[in-house]
This record gives sequence, C-alpha cells and structure tokens, in this order.
Amino acid sequence: MSYRYDREMTPPPAERASPVAITRFAHVFEVDPALMTEHVLQQVFPNWDTLRLVRSRADHLAWMHRHFAHTVISGEELLDDLD
Amino acid sequence: MTAVALSDPVVGELRRILGEPYVLTGKADRLNRARVPAPFPVHRWAERMPDVVVMPASTEEVAEVVALANRLRIPVVPRDGGTGLTDGAVPLRGGILLDVKRINQIKEIDLVNRTCTVGTGINALKLNEVLAAHDLFYPDDPASYPCSLVGGRIGTSGWSLIGSRYGHTRDLVLSFDHVLPTGKVIHVGDGIGGKITKSSSGYQLKHLFMGHQGTLGVATEATLKLFPKPEAEFSPFWAFEDYDSAYRAVGALARAGVATFAAAVLFDEWKVDYLRRDDEAYIPQPSSVKALVCAALYGYDDEVRAGGRRLMRIARDLGARYLGDEISQGDWAARHDRYATPLHGRTRAGQVVPMSWHCEDASITYANLPAVRLAWHEIAAELRRTSDVFDDWGMFAYTNGSTGADYLTEIDIGIWERRLDDASWAAWVKAKRDLAAVALRHGGSISACHGSCREGEVDLVPEELGGGYDIMLAVKRELDPNNIMNPGKYLLDRAYS
Amino acid sequence: MFLEEWRDAAYNCFSSGHKFCREVCPVMQVTRNESWSPTAFHANVVAMEKGELEVSDVAADYVNCTGCGACELRCPNSLFTGDFYRFRTRTVDLVKAMRGLAVSEGVHQPGWQRWNRLTDQNSHEPVLDGVSQERVRDWADGLDLPVGGETILFVDCEAAFHRTSLPRAVARMLNLAGYTFGLMNEQWCCGGPAAEMGYGEQAQRFARHNLDDWRAHGVRRVLVLDPHDYITFTEDYPRYFGEEFDIEVVLVIELLASMVREGVLTPHVPVERSVTYHDPCRLNKRKGIWQEPRELLRSIPGLDFRDVDRVTQWSSCSGAGGGLAIEKPELTAKISAARVDKALELGVDTLVTACPWAERPLSEVGTIGVVDLHELLAESLGVGEP
Repeated sequence: MSYRYDREMTPPPAERASPVAITRFAHVFEVDPALMTEHVLQQVFPNWDTLRLVRSRADHLAWMHRHFAHTVISGEELLDDLD
Repeated sequence: MTAVALSDPVVGELRRILGEPYVLTGKADRLNRARVPAPFPVHRWAERMPDVVVMPASTEEVAEVVALANRLRIPVVPRDGGTGLTDGAVPLRGGILLDVKRINQIKEIDLVNRTCTVGTGINALKLNEVLAAHDLFYPDDPASYPCSLVGGRIGTSGWSLIGSRYGHTRDLVLSFDHVLPTGKVIHVGDGIGGKITKSSSGYQLKHLFMGHQGTLGVATEATLKLFPKPEAEFSPFWAFEDYDSAYRAVGALARAGVATFAAAVLFDEWKVDYLRRDDEAYIPQPSSVKALVCAALYGYDDEVRAGGRRLMRIARDLGARYLGDEISQGDWAARHDRYATPLHGRTRAGQVVPMSWHCEDASITYANLPAVRLAWHEIAAELRRTSDVFDDWGMFAYTNGSTGADYLTEIDIGIWERRLDDASWAAWVKAKRDLAAVALRHGGSISACHGSCREGEVDLVPEELGGGYDIMLAVKRELDPNNIMNPGKYLLDRAYS
Repeated sequence: MFLEEWRDAAYNCFSSGHKFCREVCPVMQVTRNESWSPTAFHANVVAMEKGELEVSDVAADYVNCTGCGACELRCPNSLFTGDFYRFRTRTVDLVKAMRGLAVSEGVHQPGWQRWNRLTDQNSHEPVLDGVSQERVRDWADGLDLPVGGETILFVDCEAAFHRTSLPRAVARMLNLAGYTFGLMNEQWCCGGPAAEMGYGEQAQRFARHNLDDWRAHGVRRVLVLDPHDYITFTEDYPRYFGEEFDIEVVLVIELLASMVREGVLTPHVPVERSVTYHDPCRLNKRKGIWQEPRELLRSIPGLDFRDVDRVTQWSSCSGAGGGLAIEKPELTAKISAARVDKALELGVDTLVTACPWAERPLSEVGTIGVVDLHELLAESLGVGEP
C-alpha cells in the first residue's frame, strides 16, 4: 500500500518459464534478461510498475469486451453442453 | 519529383481561408505528417515532407483549399489518422498536406433510421462510446480500431475484423460528402445517397470514391449504418497439432453458415512460434501446439449460444483442443488493437532488437491459403538469411466474409527500421513485389485491406486490374485534370503522359 | 547526452507509428493537432538525431502535455509488452527531458520561467499572491497539530495556500481515527513542478532540502494528499537519491480506505448529492490507484454515485497538470470544459475529484459543483468544515 524504495526495487526471484522467458510474479512472464543485453537494455522497473501494467492490461481487455458486447459467453460452458 | 516551394502569397491565402492557427509551416509540423506505419526509409525522410500543413474545420474550408491548390497546380495530400499501411497519406511531391482531424463532430444520431452522420476526422471507438448510450454500435473494427479515423477508412476502403458479420467499411458507410480535386463538392452514395442503403439508380459511384488513397479527393462528412450493440460475444480459441488440421477447421467453421459468425482467424506455425516468444497466452503452451484457430460471434445471447455450440462441435470433431475461457477472451479482446508491438524482434542470435511491425496483406481464396503461405515464408526467409534487419513473425488468415470464400492473408515482418539503408530498402521493395506476385499467381488480390500503392507492390497493379487499370487512368484524368490530388500514387502519372 | 538517452526509445515509437496514444491524449482531443501528439514528441527526437531539428524548433510544442500518462499507458509498448520486456514507453519522462534540454540551452517559456523564479524566491509555487515560507502552515491554524514526529503530512502548494479546506479535512479525519502525525519542520515545494517544466537543478535542490529536513528531524513516513506529490516522492526522489531515499510514502486516500475497511472510520452522515468521480490522472493512469477512491465514495451514505470506469477515464483529464495551466490556460480550460461536459451527461450535480490541482480549472468551468473526495468523506464522518 505504501511506497518504500527497497521493497520496490527488489523484484521477486526469477524462475525459468520457457527457453526465452522467466517468471517473477505469479502468472506474469518476462523476457529472459540475457536476451536484452546488446541492442535494447532493460529499464529500471520498480515492482509497482510491473503490477500496474499487468492489472491495467486486464482492465483494458475487460473494457474492450464490454465495449463490443454486453456479456461474454463461456466456451467451457458450451463445451459441457455438447456432452 | 522536386517539391513545390510554396510562396508566401499561397500561405497568406491559406491563412485567409482557414485562420492563422490552422496553417502550419514549422519544420516539426511538416516532419510529423510525413509518414504512416508502413515501412519508412527514414534516411529519405526529407523527400516525403509537405511544404505546408492545413487543418480545415469544414467541408467548405476543404473545398476552398483544394480549389486554390487546383488553380495554382499545388499537390494536395489528404491525411486523416495516418494509420494506413500503404503510404496513402505520405506526401511524395511536397505541397499542401490537408489534415482533416478537426472535422470530427457528430452531426446527427438518427435513432429512427438507425444512422449517424459524422465528420470524417472522428475515431470509431470514440464514436461508439457515444453510441453506447443509445445501445447502438458502429462495427467498423480494424486492428487500428482505437486510433484510425473514419475518413481514412473511406479513403482506403478499410477491412473490418468482424466484417463477416457486419460488412466492411464499404458496407457500413452509406454516403458521404466528397471534395473533388477541382474543389467541387459532391455527395456520394447509392443513388441520392443520404441514408439510402440500396439503390439501382445510375452508376454505383460509392465504391469509386472509396479506396482511392486520396487520389480522387477528400471525404469530409459521412453517414454511417448503425447496429444494436451486441448482447453477447463468444470468441473461442483452439489449438491444433498441425497446420493442416487447423486449416481444415477454419474452413469448416467459416462454411458452417452460422448467422452470428463474425470472424475466424487461422494462425500458422510461424505465428505460433513468434507468440511463444513473448505472448503470455502462448508461452506456457506445450510444444505440440503448432497452429491455432479462433472464431468470434456476436448477437443476442440465445443465438450466439446456439451458433457457438455448433462451432464448438465442428472444431472438436476436427481435432481441436479448446484453449479455455481465459485465453479465448483475453486474446480476442486484444485483437482490436494488437496492431503495434515494437521490440518484438530478435536477431538471428536471439537478442531482442527494436523492430517495428509490418503487415503485408493479400486476399486469397481458401483453396490457395496453404500454397501462398509457403511461398510467402520463403520470401521472408530470404530476407532473414541476408540480414538481421528483417524477422518473420508468422501469418494470419482472416475470413473476408461469412461464406469462407476468401481470406485476408497477412504475413507479419519485423523490420529494424533504424538499420535500413539503400541496400536493405531495395531488398524490402523487391520482397514486397514478390509477395504481391505470389498473390496474383494464385488468383488473389494484392491487398484485402491496406491498398496497394507502395513501392514494389504498385508495379503489379496494372497487371492485377487489367483493362480496369485503363479505366482508372481515364477516371483520374477526368476528375483531376491537373494531377494535384496525392500525385505519384498508383502510377497514376501515366494518365497524363 | 539527451539524444543518446532517448533516441532508441524514440525510434521504437517513431518506427511503429501507430498512435494508440492519440485519442486518449487530452491535448490531442481538444486540438486535433498532430504536432502535439505523443508520437510527435518521440519522432522529433529522431529528427533531431538526423540533424533535421533543433530543440529551439520544438520547445514550444512540448508545452502541450499535461503529464497525465494516458499515452504511455495506452501504448502497446507499455500495456501489452512493457512488463514483459521491462521496457516501456516513457513519454512523460521524455517531455520533461526535452523541456529540461530547452532550459539548459536557454530556451524558456515565459510563464514557466516566471513561475519557477517565484517558486525559487518563496520556496513555494506562486499559486496566489502572498505565498511565503512563513505562511506554509497557516492552513492548520486552530487544529493544534504538532510539528515533527515520525510521520508527517506533506501538503502541496495549491492545497497549503489555496485549497486550505482540503488539508484541514484530512487532518480532522486522521485525528478522528487517532492516527498520530505532525507537520513538516520546514516544508518547501516538493520540486516536482519545476522538474516537469524543465528546471531540473531547482527541482533537485528543493528535493534535497526536503529530504535533509526529514532526516534531520527523524521523519520516517510522509503522508501525501496530492497525487502530484505522490509521483514526485515515488518517482523523482528515488531517481535523485537512490537507496538513500529510505522514507515511506503513504497516499492519504489509501490510508483512509484501509481505515474505513477496518472500521476505524465509519461514514455515517448522509450526503444527499448525485456525484461522479474524476480519476486524477496521476493516480489512475500513472499509479493504477482507482479502487480506493471508489471504495470511499461507496461508503458514504446518501450518496448517488454514478461511476465511470477507470479505463474510460484514461481519456479524461482536467488539463491542469504538467505546467499547461501556467503556460496555456486557455488549453487547460478547454480540457476541463470537455471533462465537465462528460460529467454533466450523467445527470449528476457534483464532480468529485481527489487532486487539488484539478479542482481550480474544473470549478472555473462553472457548470457543475466540484468537491474534493477528502472533504466529502470528512462531511460524512461528521468532521467537515463547520
């Protein structure tokens, strides 16, 4: 809830997610930092900013659904109907 | 090809017409209206600069500016959103850049006839935010949906992601006010135009004044067809273990004849590989996933459910694995604006490089999709073999219509634009021409949605249109006797030689 | 140096050129002038590198930004891939850097030059006549607040001198909750506005003063009621001071929301108004803080709250930020008027916001009541201004 420099500047430890991606926050992928060492260098990225983007993306996508239609139908539900 | 140097009296005259603040002569003002998202030879930026920028606020002001330009033989380049992919809004011979973004008012929302009339500088997403209050919807949905503007959609005869259900720009725009290259204003539509959606009276001129890339004038005010905002959306995504199964499935889905069917999209193996690099939905997918298909349905809840069940059964019977609601919903919502994700490029050694996204498109019949795909990837591979400037980001095929006859077929190529030089630019232009040639060889059209007036592809347009191209020249000569309107596009100089 | 730092990122924007920023940019929405689009702000850097432009050619264009952050959030390079690559579009920082470059080359905007000179003289922004160091705590007269302590309330210039009822409401609510805090020993302007207008040296000098003052007096926690200060303390100060910046920064809105959630504070006095909420750009777009204000509004009995979601409001702005109101007040007025028009369409009588800087231009539109969220909450807690 509040801002502290040390807390924001220390990302959670990385786990490998694929040959080219890692994960630090649950369900959030990041590029393997080794791939950004020559032509594009990564920026200083406090934790709040990562989470802000992840949440904003989810909000934006939900907004787009609402923008195009009132409700979204679940494919899992329809699949159950087939059986 | 030298730029016309505009004299002070011309600028003064433009200021008299438009008012001081709306005539821009600063270098930054001109530099910033020189490009669109299509690949741009930045080392030749200065060759694509207009001499002056004008920002009219009405049809009358546009007409006055164009009449002045015609009288003085000054090139005029219309520009709206500047989000097109075939350089329509890029000045090739200097002159007056006519920026219509200020003409963006909603003039009327007609609830009885279900139309609205707008200035062509308006964006469809912004329009839909207003229409939502009436539970109405204008379904022109390009990948540039949040930023493209109605005038550009008319000038390019745009393609809509959900066009299989609602039609494309040509179907959705009923009529418009159009300023001809002489400055004369006409109203274009079926017959009398206005709110008429079908007329057999006279020649059908609406198509002529759409998709001309600004070479025949400027649309300033348009009447649009509206629909009820859909009650429900369904957007299933499925995974396949090989391209052929996915290809069979997309065809079956499109041919199923489901009334609420709005789109189906086929992602090929290269596209899936590309998505595994940095797309949160596809990074965790097992390596057995080689191709994808998605579909979208819009309508009332009951009809979408019924149609959705039918499509789910078809896909399942053809070996599809449903990817789940989270991916299906998240990825579909991103399709309305996943039109630009720079940084995605990789060198051959795997390092991330800043690349811009370039989509090269064609209209291809269903039967020819597999062959075009292989030929196109070979062209991309040839670019990649020689240089880290280019990267193959895979292909999509999107249904053009509800019967599944033909598809907007696109190959996405990353370009490290900053490294472009004359040699790599020439390689790119050649590739562009080769891509177009493949499309024609397979009975396709060079472009489903962008237009085809860029270097490379444009060379093949006379071949594509055949005798129709001579008609294009005749029309251009007749309507633009002095070749002032967006000169240099579509090889139309030939009309004057 | 400037070009070296910015050209790569600028090139990413320029070469994609898709402009998802354009229709959410408050300046673009009212001017439709592509020279003032976020895309142009990046493209100009590329043109400078090519030798096509000098900073003096474009300095005045860079006035046309409120620093709201809509463009950089809406950019696919941020929204879709920024967290993945740990590399996102930073248009707000670029605009600040270009303004700084202009100042360093002696290209000044007259309004900004005067504003920052007066700020330097008085150690506070000239938000009204008579601003001075002696009067920075006048807003707290009669509240009996201590000076110093581990936790202090930092009050921005607009609220300390012009919108004094706002910090008073905050102080009363914190007192009601039994929360211990004091006032800052010698508070200067946070320095954020100077940084936004290109006066970087002055901004850092002010920041240094404030941090030294906090450290000298044992401050560990700074409460902030102004979203602009919140940005300055959580983005500028960490950049200036690195690890040395070990002060906890707490946004008052978040603190109050947790107090209401935990039952420490319970709004009970009905407020019979129909309201909508204007998301301060620096909270909603730049920090992703939008839930807590809504939580507070929903906790107030009697209130008819007609919400407009946070994503729709990425396109909204009061026009007050980034120094725009100082250099181009007519443009701020247009942006504010457009914002108020949207609120009026909802049929509400009151526009609630949580940013002291937004309140002046929104009120000046004159067609809707503008109330600060903190004050509205204080009213419902029975500790409103008598």
